[in-house]
Amino acid sequence: MSCKLVRRHLGAFVDGELDPATQIEFERHIEACPGCQEHLAFESSFRVQTRDALGHAQAPEYLWQRTLRRLDEIDQAKTAHTSLVEVRPMRWRHTWPIAAAAAAILVIGGVVGLPNQADYQSAGMLQDVVNLHTQALPSDVQGEAPSEVVRYFQGKTPFPVKPAQFEEPSVKLVGARYITVGARPAAALYYIQDGRRITLLVFQSPDIVRNAQRTHVGGREVYYHDVGGYVVTIRQHGGLNYAFFGDLDRPMLFQLAANARVAY
Amino acid sequence: MPKKERKIASTRRLFEGEVRPHLDALYSAALRLTRSPVDAEDLVQDTLVRAYRFHDRFEAGTNFKAWLLRIQMNAFVNRYRRVARERQVFDGPMAAPVGEGVMSRSTMRGLTDPVGDAQRQIIAREINRAFEELSEDARAMVLLADVEELSYKEIAEVIGCPIGTVMSRLHRARKQLQSSLQHHAVQLGIIETDDEDADDPVSLEAFRSRKAVKP
Repeated sequence: MSCKLVRRHLGAFVDGELDPATQIEFERHIEACPGCQEHLAFESSFRVQTRDALGHAQAPEYLWQRTLRRLDEIDQAKTAHTSLVEVRPMRWRHTWPIAAAAAAILVIGGVVGLPNQADYQSAGMLQDVVNLHTQALPSDVQGEAPSEVVRYFQGKTPFPVKPAQFEEPSVKLVGARYITVGARPAAALYYIQDGRRITLLVFQSPDIVRNAQRTHVGGREVYYHDVGGYVVTIRQHGGLNYAFFGDLDRPMLFQLAANARVAY
Repeated sequence: MPKKERKIASTRRLFEGEVRPHLDALYSAALRLTRSPVDAEDLVQDTLVRAYRFHDRFEAGTNFKAWLLRIQMNAFVNRYRRVARERQVFDGPMAAPVGEGVMSRSTMRGLTDPVGDAQRQIIAREINRAFEELSEDARAMVLLADVEELSYKEIAEVIGCPIGTVMSRLHRARKQLQSSLQHHAVQLGIIETDDEDADDPVSLEAFRSRKAVKP
């Protein structure tokens, strides 16, 4: 074992990250090599000095208080959400029958439900859609192959996810991730068109279109919500919502939502 | 209190109890990454809100702090998209070559056993300065490994790269830190160069810095 090799991996040795056999070989070499001993002493000492020098800053107390207030808001939204509809959070791996039952209960909930809370709830969900797009959370599965995306969501969402297809060839699927919208499991699909990002969210919740505006574009029914200067367009199919949002102007977004193939 | 609300309240208490001990570490890392207290506060709050939303996805038995740091790192990367660009510079052809022996033996000795508190303080200050000069990627490596003391596997998960990559990036980050430190330390006269090494410079950087100081 050469000094060069030992010194190259001395950091990993000090970190205890070498495999046990190599670790022992290193120890043997260092025991017999004053030069490497010096390097080891430095490496260990420098580690401590780095930690001490860069050590922990204390978080200001108001930061914790501020965060707790945000968590209160989330809890309140959750309370409003759950008291409206008696649906237990959907478990993984349950598929169609459960989803259909949940949808049925949701409809009944809609009949006796309190409109104000439903408004609040769908507003929260829409805000989640907008946030999802603006925050651009990283994809969990990348690439253009829809089959990869389909496989990724199997067992994650209580409904099968198929990426929407667009007539415009310039719209490309770039990735996807699992996410929750108003505490519901949802599929976020990311597309790109000429450098502009488009986010498509697939999730269940008939409530989302209850107070939505409705229009027809090219013979297709498109719902839409205005959210703080943005517009979210929604298509419904097979008990699922397809919410489109993107860095596009209004007519483009409507066109895109209307032309998307969400069932195939 | 209805059952649902009780459940929400107990989940919340559990979360608060788990998170509070790591608040300083998160803030500290955020401060080092963003270099701005205002940005650091926003980043930490964002991290905790996300952690709360995804709390049911935390795998019990794994390192909770590492999980929080992973969320924070993702939030940071999303918010400050510079990272991707810097990483290219860091890993690409523009990256300064870092040799194995960036430290002369005398520097190493001087840093291994600093004499007196004054010397220690100067070295601590110099480490801070050298750290600030590192790329975002290298800062993250040093933070996670040397300050937060995460394992390579945990760092790999936080950064989202293979373990082998952690090993080489961390190695390079530490060497860059040391190289920058040595450069300044010699210039400031904190560390004396000795003749023993002068004839046989261990790196070009060391050779140049010594040349700059010597008349």
